[in-house]
Amino acid sequence: MSDQEKLVIMATHGPDDPERATIPFVMACAALASDVAVVMGFQADGVCLVHEGEAEHVQAPEFPPLKKLLDDFRELGGQLLVCAPCIKSRGFMDSLVPGAEVVAAARFVAEVTSATNVLVY
Amino acid sequence: MTTMTSPLSDTDLLALESAKVVDARGSACPGPLLEAKKAMNTVQVGQTIEIWSSDPATKTDIGAWSAKVGHTYLGTVAGEGYERTFVVRQK
Repeated sequence: MSDQEKLVIMATHGPDDPERATIPFVMACAALASDVAVVMGFQADGVCLVHEGEAEHVQAPEFPPLKKLLDDFRELGGQLLVCAPCIKSRGFMDSLVPGAEVVAAARFVAEVTSATNVLVY
Repeated sequence: MTTMTSPLSDTDLLALESAKVVDARGSACPGPLLEAKKAMNTVQVGQTIEIWSSDPATKTDIGAWSAKVGHTYLGTVAGEGYERTFVVRQK
């Protein structure tokens, strides 16, 4: 078992709320830069953030573009987990950003219960 | 608990020779931190990097990050419209 700290960040807001969509990625990138493992979980409208092509259109004032943060997150080694029913209901099961993994509730439970801390946005 | 005290005076900081200068002016949080992280991997243990940022939160961010990951935050001095923050790689 690893001694590395792990942060799970749940994102539930989509492009309609750019600030709430962006801050989870800001925290995730800062954690990865601090040698903390990060798993981001996307549920409800949050799944739109990892729908191919959508991050390019999200820009919260005074924050970096979401696409830049998403690229940084993946480059730093973060994991992206996406709620299966949430993307099925929105019709983009086969058009997620590279590296996004489709999962169901038990996987989220496993990640959350094994994390050092969990943030929910 | 992270301490944010600066162990070096402005005069001492200005006399430092940095192995790498990161120009993160105009970059929004967490940009300066991510740039510092990348730059740290390009210098040797014991060498100093210098981060230029126009975001006043950068100095506390870099100080907290240094304490978290085990580097040494030396302090911050004012430039013209930006701040210069100095960190020594320790691992």
